Amino acid sequence: MSLTRQGTCLSRSQFGVLYRHAVPMGTTAKEEMNKFWAKNNKLNRPMSPHVTVYKWSVPMMMSISHRGTGLGLSAGVSAFALLALVLPGSYPYYLDLIHSQSFGPALIGLAKFGIAFPLSYHTFNGIRHLCWDSGKGFKIPEVYGSGYTVIVLTVLTTIAAVAYKGAA
Amino acid sequence: MAAIVRISSLCHRGVKPLFHRSSLLLRPLGVQQKDQDRPYQLTARIHGSPSLYSGSGSKAASLHWTGERVVSVMLLALGPAAYYIPGPAIDYSLAAAITLHSHWGIGQVLTDYIHGESKIKVANACLFLLSTVTFAGLCYFNHNDVGICKAVALLWSK
Repeated sequence: MSLTRQGTCLSRSQFGVLYRHAVPMGTTAKEEMNKFWAKNNKLNRPMSPHVTVYKWSVPMMMSISHRGTGLGLSAGVSAFALLALVLPGSYPYYLDLIHSQSFGPALIGLAKFGIAFPLSYHTFNGIRHLCWDSGKGFKIPEVYGSGYTVIVLTVLTTIAAVAYKGAA
Repeated sequence: MAAIVRISSLCHRGVKPLFHRSSLLLRPLGVQQKDQDRPYQLTARIHGSPSLYSGSGSKAASLHWTGERVVSVMLLALGPAAYYIPGPAIDYSLAAAITLHSHWGIGQVLTDYIHGESKIKVANACLFLLSTVTFAGLCYFNHNDVGICKAVALLWSK
């Protein structure tokens, strides 16, 4: 596919676009993506180091944290589901068993934190994502503003959740 | 979507026309013409509507995207619901919504980092297995044990 220089007539057009011999694209995004990877893998090109050389920003860190908390929560849910299938006793039994140990309350506190922190971060940042999906909040100051709001809300919610003790 | 735009168009008209979506949907052929040929102007604006695509494919990806957002919103609603009206209905709804949200979320991660026909297939098969077992485990817990809502309440009562 070559890019050719054209004559001076182009500068005369004021509206519409000038094309010479153009066809509608017949490939899907998926096909284009596969072509990209096939070509670059074949050429044995090194992957851009980006994470090691590009300056980290708050939005970048929040984005990967969103992914990280999501994966962590999924792992936790799957682990819980597997244990439910495999362990013989009931949930209240194991909960009381852990609680009665010397390290019990500390472990339970850790569990509450381990659930509350990633869940609240992922939830609040998820709402931020949904706002973007509706088209709002893309200006850079807005991105940073909403980002800091998410962080503050996460910290407050986590503290409240860990401190809260309900009546079963 | 990959787009190839003539460099000369950038030089003469600047970057602005690139933002007309229609201009990005055409791929110039590789035929070289003499400079004396008068270029003709396309008077009909070519729009990005799917009907003009040859072999455009299905709406599956778009529907998937919408489905992901719908499940996310449902999960947001299930939070307060689980707190105020705990019970089997919420327990099973949570099991379904969490598993589906997780499944699609991990699916996106796999799509981002795994490349190559067979590797993608294997990864997605493993994910499907994991999600199935997870959903089975959660339903089993809801049916044979205290259920998700009660489990969280119990943890927070200690």
